[in-house]
Amino acid sequence: MSRLVALIKKEFGQIRRDKRLLMSLVVPPTIQLLLFGFALNATVDHLKMGVLDLDPSPQSRDLIANMTESGAFRLANTYFSEDQLGQALERGDLEAGLVIPYNFARDMERGRQPDVQILLNAMNANTAAIAQGYAARVLQSWSQVYSQQGGVHAQYRPIAANEVSRKGNVLMHPAFLFNPGLVTSWFIVTGALGVLLVLNGSIIASAALVKEREAGTVEQLLMTPAGTGEIIVAKITPVFLLLCITILFATALIKVVFGVPFRGSFVLVLVGAMLCVLSGIGIGTFIATFTKSAQQAQLMAFFVNPPLASLSGALTPVEAMPHWMQSLTVLNPIRHFGIITRSVLLKGSGFTAVWPHMFALAAFTAVLLTLSVMRFRKQLA
Amino acid sequence: MRRVFAQMRKELTQIVRDRLALVLALVLPLCLLMLLGSAVSLTVSGLPVVVQDLDDTPASRDFIDAFRASLTFHIVSWPSGRQPADAFLTNTARAALVIPEHFGRDMARGMNTEVQLLVDATDANTARLVQGYASQVVSNYRPAAAPVKADIRLWFNPGRDAKKFYAPGSFVMGLSMFPALLAALAMSKEGEQKTILQVYVSSISAHEFLLGKILAFALIAMAEWFLSLILLFTYFGLHFAGDPSVFIVATILYAFCVAAFGSWVGAAIPSQAAAIQVIAVGGFLLTFLLSGLIFPVENIPASLRWISGLVWSRYYIEIVRDALLRGGGWPAMWFNVVMIALIGGVFYALGWKKLRRMQLSI
Repeated sequence: MSRLVALIKKEFGQIRRDKRLLMSLVVPPTIQLLLFGFALNATVDHLKMGVLDLDPSPQSRDLIANMTESGAFRLANTYFSEDQLGQALERGDLEAGLVIPYNFARDMERGRQPDVQILLNAMNANTAAIAQGYAARVLQSWSQVYSQQGGVHAQYRPIAANEVSRKGNVLMHPAFLFNPGLVTSWFIVTGALGVLLVLNGSIIASAALVKEREAGTVEQLLMTPAGTGEIIVAKITPVFLLLCITILFATALIKVVFGVPFRGSFVLVLVGAMLCVLSGIGIGTFIATFTKSAQQAQLMAFFVNPPLASLSGALTPVEAMPHWMQSLTVLNPIRHFGIITRSVLLKGSGFTAVWPHMFALAAFTAVLLTLSVMRFRKQLA
Repeated sequence: MRRVFAQMRKELTQIVRDRLALVLALVLPLCLLMLLGSAVSLTVSGLPVVVQDLDDTPASRDFIDAFRASLTFHIVSWPSGRQPADAFLTNTARAALVIPEHFGRDMARGMNTEVQLLVDATDANTARLVQGYASQVVSNYRPAAAPVKADIRLWFNPGRDAKKFYAPGSFVMGLSMFPALLAALAMSKEGEQKTILQVYVSSISAHEFLLGKILAFALIAMAEWFLSLILLFTYFGLHFAGDPSVFIVATILYAFCVAAFGSWVGAAIPSQAAAIQVIAVGGFLLTFLLSGLIFPVENIPASLRWISGLVWSRYYIEIVRDALLRGGGWPAMWFNVVMIALIGGVFYALGWKKLRRMQLSI
């Protein structure tokens, strides 16, 4: 035990003098968290809409006003022919187009049900899906309100319709739980936290291990009576403790800057974050046993990190991935930590809901560290 | 000119003999494209939904079947005694549909009935999509007679296929990362191992040296572009939407731009490990966050958006998406081509300045 303490003391002494490392514990995570939280935003609003009104009438103007004042779309320009509108969409000047046909008002009054055409730039499937929903709902509510005012054929007026022929409608009332304001950044920052902890943990841990290797002092360490396990535990202890400071710092940032509610037990999140850091450190030490120099370790991280970050459900929903990939994400620590933070912070779930994910994180750490200890001696050969 | 080609040949030979570099240059971008192109998407399907049917009549079951038929929702069982919102706490469901008592009776009487949809809005974007899909399901269940009919036409990607949007983005990410990485490694190696001194004593000028390097890695970028394009055309089912000439011109300029970026980083930082980190920030992080790869650039707050105006991959992503989906051609994209050329020129000038200064300082 005293051996371990002595080794840990040595590592602490080394790390304390490494100013660049200490900086890298605070500065990059802060910048990354802010960038992720502010730059990644899926909100769909103020889409540029071009209007082609072939029937300038009070009705058409009212529809245009409703469409463009909804917040989802804004009036960018008006056009006088289909070609102009189409070209503007192709040039990317517009995201959406609204075409009101000839005799729009007259057809409404006669009960002929005019077709209003809405063109959407669907290159971005997500924007298009949401904009489609907006457009349909705006048109629906407009025509409901309008049919009560008159100016449409009697058959569409709810009051005038015959008692027997009237069909009941299903009215749906959606309620958004946990995030009624639909703040996108809450989802992103709670996911990005896991990405940061794993990426920084793995980079710092592999750097700490590889440094010994590069300096050629690893043989000296192995000659001491300390076992391989002790060496690795001593190596990662200071890294782990320092990363715990990063955890506190990052969670404070999430709370203060992004206003994420802390509905569940904070201790649970902290324990989850520590386990997440540990599995990140596990990845780092495992990478370090494969590499001979800092440059190689960096390159390995280059291969491992982008897939790890993007196949985690941290920034995009897991449900949007193909099925075979969804089952692969079970092997990703970031995914488990993302579920923990979102369940506990946003929904207030308790231990019973998140323990499988805690267990998974602990299991990753155990497996990766065991593998690293097993490989540590072999790497010298 | 002869010396430029000699320098280029030397670089290419070095890469062909280095197996790790070759894998980096040609295989990894393809893997990344496959992986990210199919993984990154925001359009969910098969979302678990629990139903609380307090009516339990043929009419309510018929209504639930409308949800069951949709690809977006996947109805999971939930004990009727428990609150449906509890299913969110354990992540069993993402939405809950509550059908009140007398649903069937009200429908039969021709009265309006209300149902509630509870949505787990932890993920705001998915919540919005769920609301949109659910209201489409509901309005198609009993189409109300509306005085106006909406014809919504989706242009450029009528199937709303997310892969067609994200695959070009991942393609650009691969192209921004790997050639730049290789160029930076090659350049900083010269500094790290002091072989740069040999360059200085030779008769090659800074321009020739830099151009040779850049040309070599631009060629690798073009090879990578070609291989990735095959994957885009076959696996992702994309094709040229219009005139490909702007795409080809932009690609040549972009290959030059990323190679010049890598060479500049390598010349400025004579340490391979540190150079890799800079490329990770410039090639990966900037592309990932500030180029509109996943989320539209317009959504970035204005205080940060100006940075994305300097991110070279942002312009190229727009060109690739335009060439493969929209087909706007030169009138839509000329500005982006100019910006790529401009940024590439700046990187070249910076690299050249660094090289000259290195020559003087040693």
